[in-house]
Amino acid sequence: MSRRRSKILVVSALAVLLLAWEGAVVLTGAQASWPFPSGIIRSGFAITADGTLLVALAGSLQRVITGFLVGALVGIPTGIAMGLLPWVNLAMRPVTESLRSIAPIAWIPLAILWLGVQGNAALFVVAYAAVFPFILNAAQAARAVDRNHLRAARALGAGPGLILRAVVVPSTLPTIFTAARIALAIAWSSIIAAELALGVKIESGGRSVAGLGQLMVATLYVKRDVNALVFGMLVIGLVSFLIDAVLRRLRDTLLPWARR
Amino acid sequence: MTDSILKIQAVRKTYVSVRTGDTIEALAGIDLEVPAGEFLAVVGPSGCGKSTLLSLVAGFTQPSAGEVLYRGQRVTGAGPERGVMFQDYALFPWRTVLGNIEFGPLARGVALTQRHARARELIRLVGLDGFENRYPHELSGGMRQRCALARMLANDPEIWLMDEPLAAVDQQTRTILQDELLRLWGDAARRPGAPTVIFVTHAIDEAVLLADRVVVLARRPGRIKAVIDIPLPRPRPAQRGSPQFAALVAQVWDLIRDEAAKAIVEEIDR
Repeated sequence: MSRRRSKILVVSALAVLLLAWEGAVVLTGAQASWPFPSGIIRSGFAITADGTLLVALAGSLQRVITGFLVGALVGIPTGIAMGLLPWVNLAMRPVTESLRSIAPIAWIPLAILWLGVQGNAALFVVAYAAVFPFILNAAQAARAVDRNHLRAARALGAGPGLILRAVVVPSTLPTIFTAARIALAIAWSSIIAAELALGVKIESGGRSVAGLGQLMVATLYVKRDVNALVFGMLVIGLVSFLIDAVLRRLRDTLLPWARR
Repeated sequence: MTDSILKIQAVRKTYVSVRTGDTIEALAGIDLEVPAGEFLAVVGPSGCGKSTLLSLVAGFTQPSAGEVLYRGQRVTGAGPERGVMFQDYALFPWRTVLGNIEFGPLARGVALTQRHARARELIRLVGLDGFENRYPHELSGGMRQRCALARMLANDPEIWLMDEPLAAVDQQTRTILQDELLRLWGDAARRPGAPTVIFVTHAIDEAVLLADRVVVLARRPGRIKAVIDIPLPRPRPAQRGSPQFAALVAQVWDLIRDEAAKAIVEEIDR
């Protein structure tokens, strides 16, 4: 089949599906609890136009990025130290292994107790979610540094500091970028879960600390708008995709030697 | 006779095999003196401990018994006066050609402008002009080999420790690189203070072509079977195909043929 014909097939199949969906919901009169395409578009325009979506998205993104950076700053050095120094590995292993089996969102009640609902609780959960991919991957990469690279550096006169900076760290960077992609994916899903759990107590003190998760809860329980809810879900998926694309692009730009 | 720059005295090296848990004797009772400025080749079948010997001189590993003395000092670690070239080149993939070559001077604290000047000089010397900013994965095998050579030379090491540096390139490239190596070492006119070379190879013709002396190692355990003087006149490239050259190659081959045959059989057993 030609490319043009297969494209036509895909588009028309999608159109038929959307029309059938729209028709089924509208004809059965179930618009109150079932989303439908034209409704999703309309509600999507509405929450985009009045700014609520953007504010919520910015709030979530800001916390994801902050939490992600905290996770990286703690996780990368910890992982590299574990990979290089057997005694650090022995000491830290039980801690990291047991903590990492606890799902990040299981910390939400405690995080709320300690940090309140203002958004820091969600930040904590995100940092917690992001730190383990960094630790595990950095440790594994630091253990896998090519022995001949280390020997070559020593034979060229490099001391421990330069070896760490100019051999170990660059060797681990490709793996750390993979870790970053995993960490951001987990962080993004954790923030939504955390915000959903924190719920609607959003407009505290007039200053919005809401994220996408809170917006979705509010949309459903306050405004009863399932279409806006689904639009939020679509935005979550799109953002997740875009974040990963940005990271892949960043990796190719920053590590041209690791491209394949 | 000139003073020995390197003395290897009753050196043994054993290690425990990770796979079987057996103790393996890699080297047993090696005695060797290398005068300054000599080009010494080390040949032997696989598993004879050639690379282990080089690691000991480089200071990557320590002997189980005996001593490696460099300029009368016991070798306890690696140092920039002993340059190493690896069989797989061990170029840093995250550094460009220039970045790899300037690594030694960088490690020794040479200022940026000077180390760049030195690196560019070496890039010209080994024929990598125009490739300064390429990464190793963008180079051919022969170019990587040149880059590794230049990186080693950037520190002006007194001794070059070379572990089968030409094993991974095709025959034509290999011939060209042999000639270049000889030229860089000072084949035509031996200058005072010329570098000492320990060149590990499994290619007998290469050893005979390059070296002043060829050390033949036997295997299981690795030990010196013979040391053969190569009295061929220099410059050497002209000696390829001469009757004396062929006779010396045959002489060395006679010494290791049985060992090499045994090595093949044991390779299958393992």
